[in-house]
Amino acid sequence: MVYIVPWDDFVERCVQLFRASPQNTRYVMKYRHSDGKLVLKVTDDKECLKFKTDQAQDAKKMEKLNNIFFTLMARGPETDITEVTGKEQTAQPAKRGRGRKQ
Amino acid sequence: MVRLQLDPFLNELTSMFEHTTEKGSVWVTLKHSSDKSKVQRNKITTAGKELEYKCLVRATDGKKNISTLVGTKDHQRFQASYATILKARMTSLKKREKKDKRKAANVVDKKLSKTTKAMNVDKKQQVPVKRSSTANP
Repeated sequence: MVYIVPWDDFVERCVQLFRASPQNTRYVMKYRHSDGKLVLKVTDDKECLKFKTDQAQDAKKMEKLNNIFFTLMARGPETDITEVTGKEQTAQPAKRGRGRKQ
Repeated sequence: MVRLQLDPFLNELTSMFEHTTEKGSVWVTLKHSSDKSKVQRNKITTAGKELEYKCLVRATDGKKNISTLVGTKDHQRFQASYATILKARMTSLKKREKKDKRKAANVVDKKLSKTTKAMNVDKKQQVPVKRSSTANP
């Protein structure tokens, strides 16, 4: 099992793996409250990338990764994720504009 | 494997987290899927139509299995609810941030104090040089 230490490397490789084989790649999360441990695994049944942590700050990073995967998997592997936050930002100013005009 | 709608799935997931507080794990798996067999998929692609993909979400506590499909329209809402559940439930992870920041701040403060002392020494040396230059003309 390949445990990756730097978070950004893990995210980049996961997205690459998913884009390479979207049909076979899955993202697994295991949480044990009794041990206070979180393990993430992304695999296409040929290559496996894992990340483990016991830090609360990594839970926040994991949420961002969840968002990325939800977007990729629900919309399709070709979706532009730059970034999942980018989409939210483009939506908000339009609403604000309407409010000011009124 | 029990296939549920989005909201019942989220409720069941919450109860799984509650049951495994003392003992056990919760596994959540995300997969890109069209929810159709290979035969059906081939038929659709040969007919020239586009396959509709969704996100298959599975959860288990080791004993009970639940799953749901998240489509393109629902994924934002599901994402938000899912994030809320995780934030509320993952409370046993360690919070090392404050200690790291304090240590980092101490190290930075020490470095700053050393540099300011060095700068003060330089200024004292420069001042007499300036006075002598103005006195000449």
